[in-house]
Amino acid sequence: MSLGPLDQRMLVVVGAGGVGKTTLAAALGLQSARAGRNTLVMTFDPSLRLKDALGVGDEAREGAVRVKSGTRGRLDVALLDARTTFDRLIRRYAPDDAAAERIFTNRFYRDLAGNLAGILEYMAVERLFEVAADGNYDRIILDTPPTRQALDFLEAPDRIVNFLDSGALRLALKPWWEQGGGLKRMPMRIAARGVERIVDRVIGDRLLHDMVEFFRAFGPLYDGFRGRASEVRALLRAPDSLFLLVSGPGEDRIPDTLFFARKLKEAGHRVGPIVVNQIHPVAPLPRDVPSALAEGLSLFHYLGERDRRGLVRLRQLLARSEPLLAIPLQASPPTDLPELESLGRVILSQLDR
Amino acid sequence: MKLLEELARRQLIVVTGKGGVGKTTIAAAIGRLLAARGRRTLLLEVDPRESLHQLLGTEPSGGQVIKAGARLSSQNLQARSVVDGLVREKLPIAALAKKVIASSVFQHFAEGAPGLKEMAVLGYALRTVEGHHRHKADVVVLDAPATGHSASMLAAPLLLSDAIAGGQLGEMAKELAAFIADPDRCGVVLTALAEEMPVQEALELIALLREKIGRPPEVVVANALYPSFPSGTPASRTSDGNAAAILDLWRQRRAVNERELKRLRAGWKGPMAEIPLLPLDRGPDLLAGVESALAEELR
Repeated sequence: MSLGPLDQRMLVVVGAGGVGKTTLAAALGLQSARAGRNTLVMTFDPSLRLKDALGVGDEAREGAVRVKSGTRGRLDVALLDARTTFDRLIRRYAPDDAAAERIFTNRFYRDLAGNLAGILEYMAVERLFEVAADGNYDRIILDTPPTRQALDFLEAPDRIVNFLDSGALRLALKPWWEQGGGLKRMPMRIAARGVERIVDRVIGDRLLHDMVEFFRAFGPLYDGFRGRASEVRALLRAPDSLFLLVSGPGEDRIPDTLFFARKLKEAGHRVGPIVVNQIHPVAPLPRDVPSALAEGLSLFHYLGERDRRGLVRLRQLLARSEPLLAIPLQASPPTDLPELESLGRVILSQLDR
Repeated sequence: MKLLEELARRQLIVVTGKGGVGKTTIAAAIGRLLAARGRRTLLLEVDPRESLHQLLGTEPSGGQVIKAGARLSSQNLQARSVVDGLVREKLPIAALAKKVIASSVFQHFAEGAPGLKEMAVLGYALRTVEGHHRHKADVVVLDAPATGHSASMLAAPLLLSDAIAGGQLGEMAKELAAFIADPDRCGVVLTALAEEMPVQEALELIALLREKIGRPPEVVVANALYPSFPSGTPASRTSDGNAAAILDLWRQRRAVNERELKRLRAGWKGPMAEIPLLPLDRGPDLLAGVESALAEELR
């Protein structure tokens, strides 16, 4: 099956922070729409410049926004926002308004749920499910969150489900919580033996109380969360889903990149080309140049050599069948659609080689 | 007063910033500068993938305290093991502590609870400078985790002390919140690149720090800057196309740096340090280069 990024129904762009994932995702989205495919780019945290280039503002947090791209296929952009998605899910799946309201006013939900480990990633996965289930697009390009351990993103569904499963929910179902979420004291002689009593002593009554209330209120939504998480797991492993791994240049990035590629494969994902982005061009050692330029040109010579060494080394470490795309450092980030378009062409020209 | 002297008076220096901006290098350079000023310094790294040792030229820490120079040591700390340690500290009966740590309720709580791991790391730093650990230090330099927004790490104690309001954890959160908020004891160094996203995030982080812990960072470090492009250089002074392209790339990348430095300065009136991009591979030489550039800037 083709590893070309534009032959997939779903393209997941992954990699460390600061390597230009979002810009590449947008550039590929534009090329996809030009090729006549209705394309959605889902992204977390685009720069203002990129939002301007696409003509998209914060309204994209609420839903997909059409880019005036003038392409044959349409190009939509959606910004992922954990809290907005979480709120919307609760509104949609809560049995009634009162149940939703109980969750919204809960202190644990308000202050802490947004910081819950993996929640941002989980919400991305939820949004992905919504969009994929709607079937309005020929292609979805998902830009993953800017975490160093971007693997968090892929493990998020499992982790959150586990957390809901055995931790807090189990606590909430313990008999020592009276109906209505109030805390009923167990007789001391039993409590002194129980692990729960100790957890209670260490983390305090109020937090426990709030958590229990939250998970109680959350209870009716829970099965849905669970079911969707496992469908998304399958979606991310489908034969027409491909992961595009983006890396920065230079030898010191290689261990991270290979580690990540291995982890993705171990988790059962299809890994496509590894994209080495922001490569400095090879520059000659400065000779016969004015002294004002000598130091700077030496730096560029070093950077060009560093990035070339990195590429050579990575090529050696990859299997022959694994494609590698080398994208040169752009003089400045794309500021409009034509510049994004030309970056997209650079990527595609690399694919043709 | 000199900025470095200011920093040397603190007990905890938290080096924050997004991933990929050279935070670890800046943290290590600050650690070396403080040690050189006579402070017993512990460099704490919390990223499970160790990289500090490459810069220091030492063995990987593997969780242990490693000697990295005169008065300088380093340690890779697994937040999770500190959380477990916390339970052991609070529960004097070893068998009971073991039971709690092994329970699935605790496992999931420790893994998923917001702010808990962050707080455990800060608590470890506090205990170290207070002399409760075998390894003594006057100051801890913390290479903060590359979370989405590292302000969440510093805000964790305050948030938790508010949310918990009770229990031993709540007490600890209160103590840590006071420690973080005390400008005589704790300082924040923010690292950024002079590029659009990093600057945008740096400005957001400064606002968050003001909002969450009530004060700005001590200094903002703009790292890995391309050198100034000599004025009056014609973009195509040579007929060699490649050489002209390199000059053009240099000019434009520097222009991005300058535009973003200007934007940073418009939103941040406090001290800044500018560190050049150096032609050195990651390792002790690079660290020495960054250290001397930083010493110059913090003077």
